[in-house]
Amino acid sequence: MATTARPLVSVKALDGDMATDAAGVPMPHVMKAPIRPDVITFVHRLVSCNSRQPYAVSRKAGHQTSAESWGTGRAVSRIPRVGGGGTHRAGQGAFGNMCRGGRMFAPTRIWRKWHRRVNVRLRRVAVASALAATAVPAIVTARGHRIESVPEFPLVVSDSAEGIEKTAQAIKVLKQLGAYADAEKAKQSVGIRPGKGKMRNRRYINRKGPLIVYGTEGSKIVKAFRNLPGVDVANVERLNLLDLAPGGHLGRFVIWTESAFKKLDEVYGSFEASSSKKKGFVLPRPKMTNADLGRLINSDEVQSVVKPINKEVKRREARKNPLKNAAAVLKLNPYFGTARRMAVLAEAARVKARKEKINSKRTKLSEEASKIKAAGKAWYQTMISDSDYTEFDVFSKWLGVSQ
Amino acid sequence: MSDEVIWHCLRHNHCSFMAKIETGLFCRNPYNATGICNRSSCPLANSRYATIRDHDGIFYLYMKTAERAHLPNKLWERVKLPRNYEKAMEVIKKHLEHWPELLVHKIKQRLTKMTQYRIRMRRLQLKVREKIMTVPRKKAQRDLQRLEKAEKAAQLEKSIESELMERLRKGVYGGEIHNVPSKQFHTILDMEKDDLAPEIEEEEEGEIEYVEGADIEMGEMEDMEDFQGFSGEDDDGDEDDGLDEPVTMRPKRSGSDIRSKIGRKSTKVITEVNHLFQY
Repeated sequence: MATTARPLVSVKALDGDMATDAAGVPMPHVMKAPIRPDVITFVHRLVSCNSRQPYAVSRKAGHQTSAESWGTGRAVSRIPRVGGGGTHRAGQGAFGNMCRGGRMFAPTRIWRKWHRRVNVRLRRVAVASALAATAVPAIVTARGHRIESVPEFPLVVSDSAEGIEKTAQAIKVLKQLGAYADAEKAKQSVGIRPGKGKMRNRRYINRKGPLIVYGTEGSKIVKAFRNLPGVDVANVERLNLLDLAPGGHLGRFVIWTESAFKKLDEVYGSFEASSSKKKGFVLPRPKMTNADLGRLINSDEVQSVVKPINKEVKRREARKNPLKNAAAVLKLNPYFGTARRMAVLAEAARVKARKEKINSKRTKLSEEASKIKAAGKAWYQTMISDSDYTEFDVFSKWLGVSQ
Repeated sequence: MSDEVIWHCLRHNHCSFMAKIETGLFCRNPYNATGICNRSSCPLANSRYATIRDHDGIFYLYMKTAERAHLPNKLWERVKLPRNYEKAMEVIKKHLEHWPELLVHKIKQRLTKMTQYRIRMRRLQLKVREKIMTVPRKKAQRDLQRLEKAEKAAQLEKSIESELMERLRKGVYGGEIHNVPSKQFHTILDMEKDDLAPEIEEEEEGEIEYVEGADIEMGEMEDMEDFQGFSGEDDDGDEDDGLDEPVTMRPKRSGSDIRSKIGRKSTKVITEVNHLFQY
C-alpha cells in the first residue's frame, strides 16, 4: 500500500471562520482499508440482533386446566378433556396445540438466544471497511445519497461546526456544504410504516441522511443536528457499523469535523502501527494490493510474457460412419478403393460370361421364327394397353364416360 | 478504490440505480450512456466515462476523469454539441480522441438515437394530436338533471297557454271563434235548446236590414221544431233560412255531430269510366 503518498483532504471553512492557509489533513489510513462487503454483511446481520427485546407467550398459557383424557371406549378422541360440568367448557379438549384454548406448539420462550457474539477483530475490521467505503463517492452515490453538490470527498469541515448550537444554523451549514440535498431527501421521505410495526411504536420511517462525526467529547453539535430527520451524529471514538452501513449496504454519506478526521489515525491505527485506542488492532491488509485487473493484465510485465492471441477457432469434424460412407472407409482402409473397383469389374465380367454361356447353350431361333415371335408379342401388347385403341376418344364420347 | 472493487460492491451487493426486470438489468443513473447495468456502461464503476444528455433539446457531452473523482461538485465536464449531426460527431471525435473504442462507439450510437428522437419529437409537436379528455360523469349527470328540473319549473306549457289565451282575447285570431269561453257557450247552447236563449244583440254599424212579416217567423218556429228531431235532409232548407235572417243565432251542431257523417249526403264523387277499349 502506498501509504507514503497520502492525499491531502482540504478542510471546508464555514462562514465566519478565519481564513487558514492550511494545506489540509492527510487521509487517514483507515480510508485505504480493503472494502469487504462480505464481512460487512456478515457482521451487520449479527450485530443487528443485539438490540432485540425478548418476546414470549405466557409460561402458563394453555395449561391452566386440570384436564384428563377420557381414554378409549367413549367414541371420542383421546385428547385430554376438561372435567366437571354445567358449562360449555366441560368436555372440551385441552392442552394440545390443535385444541381451542390450548397451548401453542412450541411456546416461545424468553431464553431463546437473542443476541449474537461477533469476534472483536471482525467487528473492528467491518467498521474499518465501512469507513473506507464512505470515502468512495461512487459507493456513496450507489447507496442512494445525493452528493452531486458536495465539493470534496471525504467531506471535512472545520471545527467551528462543533460549536453550532441551533438547528437553524445546522441547516445553514449543511446548505453551505452542499449536503442539504441529502438531508432534504430524508426529510421528504418520512412516511407511515406499512405493517403491524405501526402499532408497535415504530410508526414512522424515513431514509437515512448524512452522518455527522465529531471529535471532541461533549460538543454542542449533537443537539444541533439531533432533530433533523435522517441525520445522525456520532463521536469518532464510538463509531457504529449500523450507522456506517445501514441495512448492510456500504457507503453512508459522512461529514467529518476536522478534529474527528485527525483522530481517526489514533483510533484505527495504520497497516503497520497498531491503534492506540484499540489495543493490538492493526488494519487488515488486502489480498491484492492492486485490485485493478484491467491494469494488471495490460501492464508491460504481463503482456511481454503472454502468448499472442489465437483468433482462429478449431471446429470439430463431423464423424462419418464408415459402414455407410465410402470416404470414411477410405480414410481407415486405403485399399478399400482398389478392392471395391476390382470387385465391381469382376462382377461385371462374371455377369457377361454367364450371359454368353447361357446364350450359347440356348437353341437359336431361325430368323423367321424370331420375327413371328416378336409380332405375336407386339399384338399382345396392343391387346392389353388402353392407349393403343385409336378410336378411344369417339368411343368414350359415345359411352358418355370421361376417363 | 479501484474500479473493479467498486463494481464488485455495486453489482454483488447493492446499487440503488439498478433496475431488474424480466428482460434484463437496467441502470437508472442519468449519466449512463446505454441504460443497461453493465461493467462497461456503469458510470460509477468506470473512473473515465462519458455520456450525452439532453437539456431542452440541446445535447451536451459529459465527461468524467479519475482526476476529479474526489470532487463530486466538479466531476462532470460539459461540452455543448452543435445542432448539426455531422458537426456533433466531429466534436465527439475530437474530445474523446484517445478514449477506449467501445465507449466512443456507444456514445456515437447514443447521439444518433437522440438526434432521431429529437427530430421525431419536433415533428410530432407540429401535428395536432388528439387529447383524450375524461368526461366528468357526475357533473354531466348533475347538469342533465338540473336541465330537466328547470324545464319542469319553467312550466312552459302554462305560459304558452296563457299567452295564446291573451292573444285570443285581444282578437289576434279574428273574431270568428265562438266557443271561447267554453262554459258560457255551452250554457247558451243549452238555453237555446230550451227556448230560453236571450237574443244576443250584435252591434252592427251601418246596414239596416228589413225583414218581412210575422209569417216567416212562424215558418222559422216550425223549422225549429223540426230541428229537435234533427233530420239531416233539412240542410238546404236551413241554409236558405239562415241567409234571410242573420240576427238569430243559428243553432249549430255540436262538434261530434258535425264530424260524423251519419245521415249526411254522400260527398263522394262517383265517376264512371268506360272500359270499352282495351289496349
